[in-house]
Amino acid sequence: MSEPLNISTLEGARRDALIRLIITLADSKRILGIRYSDWTLGAPSIETGVSTSSMTQDEWGHARLLYAMLKKLGIDPAPVEHDRPGEEFASIAALDHEQPDWAGLVVLMTLADGAVSTVLRSFATGTFDLAQNRVPKMLAEEEFHASLGSAWYRRLAATGGEARQLLTSSTEAMLPGLLAWVGADDDAARLMVDAGVIGPASERLTAFRDLVRDFVALVGVDIDSVEASADWDEARGRTPGRPDEEACQRARGDLNRALLVE
Amino acid sequence: MTTLSLPVVERRRHAGLPPAVTSHMSGGRDQWSPPLKEAPVDTVQGTWDLLQEVLDPEIPISLPELGLIYGVEFDDGVARIELTFTATACPCMEFIREDITDRLESEHWIDSVELTEVWSPPWTSDRITPEGRAKLKKLGVSA
Repeated sequence: MSEPLNISTLEGARRDALIRLIITLADSKRILGIRYSDWTLGAPSIETGVSTSSMTQDEWGHARLLYAMLKKLGIDPAPVEHDRPGEEFASIAALDHEQPDWAGLVVLMTLADGAVSTVLRSFATGTFDLAQNRVPKMLAEEEFHASLGSAWYRRLAATGGEARQLLTSSTEAMLPGLLAWVGADDDAARLMVDAGVIGPASERLTAFRDLVRDFVALVGVDIDSVEASADWDEARGRTPGRPDEEACQRARGDLNRALLVE
Repeated sequence: MTTLSLPVVERRRHAGLPPAVTSHMSGGRDQWSPPLKEAPVDTVQGTWDLLQEVLDPEIPISLPELGLIYGVEFDDGVARIELTFTATACPCMEFIREDITDRLESEHWIDSVELTEVWSPPWTSDRITPEGRAKLKKLGVSA
């Protein structure tokens, strides 16, 4: 591993790049939690609904730890969490809207959550000490999400009919944006690679493709043939778009500001 | 008509809550010993001993037995505790912080408590001590 990142000498574009990385990860965790909660009442079984509730809890715990990393850069995380307009949210595009069906949520569990974990795994083995210390616990908790997602993905893929069709269409719709996000290779991403904060884009992409290859093959998708989205928003480090306003209101806690506890 | 009189809970100093909001205290406080009359010779060990009285709010074994306490230092009346939680979104974080602070600060030889949250190494059930496991086993819980 390279020398530990010296935050006190981090400035300009490198500092901005680290802030962007932390926020895109934290926002993705927070909105992912909302997407899991969308299906807590409505999952195919009570037990699975309870699982989505637990995953919601995990994702928000992870988001809290990630936002708190901003303190090390001299940034108060409270306004970032609670006062930003939706246009500034940097969560991955796959989370912008509620999944219309259970198959879509299963694809979120396996592919979108897997994409976030792939980047987190790279972050945890990089030079930023807070990531080294905090992210392994998140990844340990994520093993349960991956396990549930894997079981459901295989089950729906084997079912055939409409379930398999929905799984296929969600998979095909989600992958290009996820590949673009995992394989981010713009100036800010490269600064983070140069600083050893995350691994190279090619390494991240290989890890993600290896993670999902067998799943998506079940619905006839060859991950090595899927092209990443070309559209990219450099300011936020995600593909264009934004989470819907309801999700942003819930993420910010607009309705319970009087009870805000930090 | 009987008027129900609910106990008023003074807002905890370290809860970090706005004035309009109070927090609840977890169980197990009835098992706390009275404050020591004399400060222990070994204040670090004395602090560990006090922490042995603070139970996890959900699992009835102490925080050290559960493996949540990663370090204790004591310096000039200040007890510095490194602790972790079983999960990143543990719903009992605030209870645990309050219980530690209240138990330690009830001692005349501890002026203040500084809690540092740590996540490395990540907590797993492997960190439960043999004593903790034995207690859990008696309660019918395997760990």
